[in-house]
Amino acid sequence: MIRAEGLTKRFGDNLAVDNLTLHVERGEVFAFLGPNGAGKTTTVRMLAALIGLTAGRAWVNGYQLGVQNMDVRRSVGILTEAPGLYERLDAVQNLQLHAKLYEVDDVAGQVQKYLQLLGLWQRRDEPVGGFSKGMKQKLAIARALLHEPPLLFLDEPTAALDPEAARTVRDFIGEVKGAGRTIFLCTHNLDEADRLADRVGIIKQKLIQVDSPGNLRRSLYGRRVVVHLAAVTELVRTAVEALPFVQEVQQVENTLVIGLEEPEQQNPVLVERIVAAGGRVQFVNELRHSLEDIYFSLIQEGEQELEK
Amino acid sequence: MNGAKICAIVEKEVADALKNKMIVISMALLPILLVVMVLGTAYFMLKIDEPMDEDDMSIIPAELQDMDPMHAFLILMNDQYLFYFLLIPMMMPVYIAAYSIVGEKETKSLEPLLATPISVWELLVGKSITATVPSVVLTWLSFVVLVIGGYFVMPEPVFLALIRPVWIVGMALLSPLLALLSVFSGIIISSRMNDPRAAQQVTGIFVVPIIALSLAVLAGKVFLSVSVVIMTAAVTLALDCVVLYFAVRLFQRETILTRWK
Repeated sequence: MIRAEGLTKRFGDNLAVDNLTLHVERGEVFAFLGPNGAGKTTTVRMLAALIGLTAGRAWVNGYQLGVQNMDVRRSVGILTEAPGLYERLDAVQNLQLHAKLYEVDDVAGQVQKYLQLLGLWQRRDEPVGGFSKGMKQKLAIARALLHEPPLLFLDEPTAALDPEAARTVRDFIGEVKGAGRTIFLCTHNLDEADRLADRVGIIKQKLIQVDSPGNLRRSLYGRRVVVHLAAVTELVRTAVEALPFVQEVQQVENTLVIGLEEPEQQNPVLVERIVAAGGRVQFVNELRHSLEDIYFSLIQEGEQELEK
Repeated sequence: MNGAKICAIVEKEVADALKNKMIVISMALLPILLVVMVLGTAYFMLKIDEPMDEDDMSIIPAELQDMDPMHAFLILMNDQYLFYFLLIPMMMPVYIAAYSIVGEKETKSLEPLLATPISVWELLVGKSITATVPSVVLTWLSFVVLVIGGYFVMPEPVFLALIRPVWIVGMALLSPLLALLSVFSGIIISSRMNDPRAAQQVTGIFVVPIIALSLAVLAGKVFLSVSVVIMTAAVTLALDCVVLYFAVRLFQRETILTRWK
């Protein structure tokens, strides 16, 4: 779907994107994370054939950037940072323009399909200027999907939306993902990325790391389970520490945080041993570091790298 | 170039412009004012019918010396006013072009548009047609209304002067060329401007040569002939080509997205 090798973009003296190598597979949701000015939008613009590359090569849907730009544009859908709708025109007119520019066969049919899918059909004849932010964003997503592109670029799809509208948009992105489309998602919302993405890429000019949120958690923090007990006795703690697979044990009041390699396999033995040592187990959970923790840790790493 | 895509742009631009009251009012106001002004001047001057003094007579060019002085004066006035008709295709496209290009920057609708498989040429042609055609048609239409009104209001020699070849050729040739000059310069200016109003004001500079020529006619320095009109058209055409060259060079996707502030 996307194969980028050494993608670089320079605006005068400003290096916006530096030597980015990236592969995104078919049907994958790839979240692109990074602070403001990290090069996320520039990368999307390069991959959507809106701006040229200073160096490197890339193929999008099998078309080479810089050589087959028109084919690239035809084969992708893009939701830009701002919805960019024609506010005096109604929803149908807004969608019709783009359907015609993408040379969609059944313009009326596709417009109706997406307006109904996104719950905007009842208000199709109203000027878009009167729509709420959430409705405008939904309309902009519909516009990006009209020509049924296999790859969709979404730049901050839920930014500036109220929680309800953000949820609706997020749910719809989930549906689009379910339909087998590839989604390249630029977002500041780490929770959103965590929920939707198969893999995340963290960028600050250079690509710092790419992996699934789960793998990133494991590689940075390992896996830990949290065991809440009625009381932590010396006997219980010794019994836990004596287990060969336990990597580390921390105690916080009546809670033990235990580092394990394979919690799915090792938890039953762990619980058995605690109970045998007289411990009364109340809850057992996996300690889940948020994507935010991972993000800040990796961004810090990236900044140190850039300083070098 | 894909005609269907150009039509889609034109369709959208027309629908958008018609919903913009400011554009509709600006488009309608100027032609109506001009027609009323020309016919009103003729009507009231003939009604007053005061003898002309020597100062007034001195500005009558040699070509009109044999005529009734009032008729000659009215022809001279009409010639000057008709220049203002050429301001319609200059002023009007600026409103439309400025809003259709700078306005898209303001509403941030240009990026999704540029992300579609439309070429820069298709986009420019679509936008230029939308800005040029209505203003040229309105210019011609207001000229036709003026001629019909003139038939009833003006004496025969003045009316015949109104429909002499110089003005027919002038309206036919100069209106589209001036409209294009206005549109292309609007595109260039919009590449450096944030505000549609600022783009309109700067494009107003192109009106100055037309005003200067009209004043030369009023002062009796130039008497309009077909050759003067053709020469003016040739100069405008050359200017169109130069301005178009720069407009296309400046109107590149990357420039628009990354340098238009």
